[in-house]
Amino acid sequence: MSESELGRKWDRCLADAVVKIGTGFGLGIVFSLTFFKRRMWPLAFGSGMGLGMAYSNCQHDFQAPYLLHGKYEQEQ
Amino acid sequence: MVARVWSLMRFLIKGSVAGGAVYLVYDQELLGPSDKSQAALQKAGEVVPPAMYQFSQYVCQQTGLQIPQFFLPISFSQLPAPPKIYFPIRDSWNAGIMTVMSALSVAPSKAREYSKEGWEYVKARTK
Repeated sequence: MSESELGRKWDRCLADAVVKIGTGFGLGIVFSLTFFKRRMWPLAFGSGMGLGMAYSNCQHDFQAPYLLHGKYEQEQ
Repeated sequence: MVARVWSLMRFLIKGSVAGGAVYLVYDQELLGPSDKSQAALQKAGEVVPPAMYQFSQYVCQQTGLQIPQFFLPISFSQLPAPPKIYFPIRDSWNAGIMTVMSALSVAPSKAREYSKEGWEYVKARTK
């Protein structure tokens, strides 16, 4: 993996993390205000979900060139 | 009866607000693949600053707080261009790493030089 490609992947990861954490936080605010009586846990839950999804995406993005994809063929 | 209808209405309003938020996230694919999130962030960076700038100009025009040239007709083509948000993370990160590493590499010699100068200064003052 070249350095420019690595840099692009890092940029994509950071942008993805910002969007997902912000989205989770926003959804947490909406649900906290509407259904959960202004408690704090929906915000923490949403932010944590966004962070976990961003981490998973980043991990897959960095491991993608090194993963081998195979196809199972049945013997006839 | 009225209280029951009111509580049902409140539940429906809250449900529609929460459902609308969830649908917006699903429609814009904000929790999807990373390239879609990056495109959404880029689109937000292009759309939000001009919208905020136009809204602030609208508020200034409506309230009359700050009109730059009130003896001339104001149009959006005469207003200055809105600021563009562009933060090159890769360049600033690399520049930051190089600055930190070069500072660490010259730190011992600089510390020796400054301590020597300090010692000379103290010696000169105590004479």
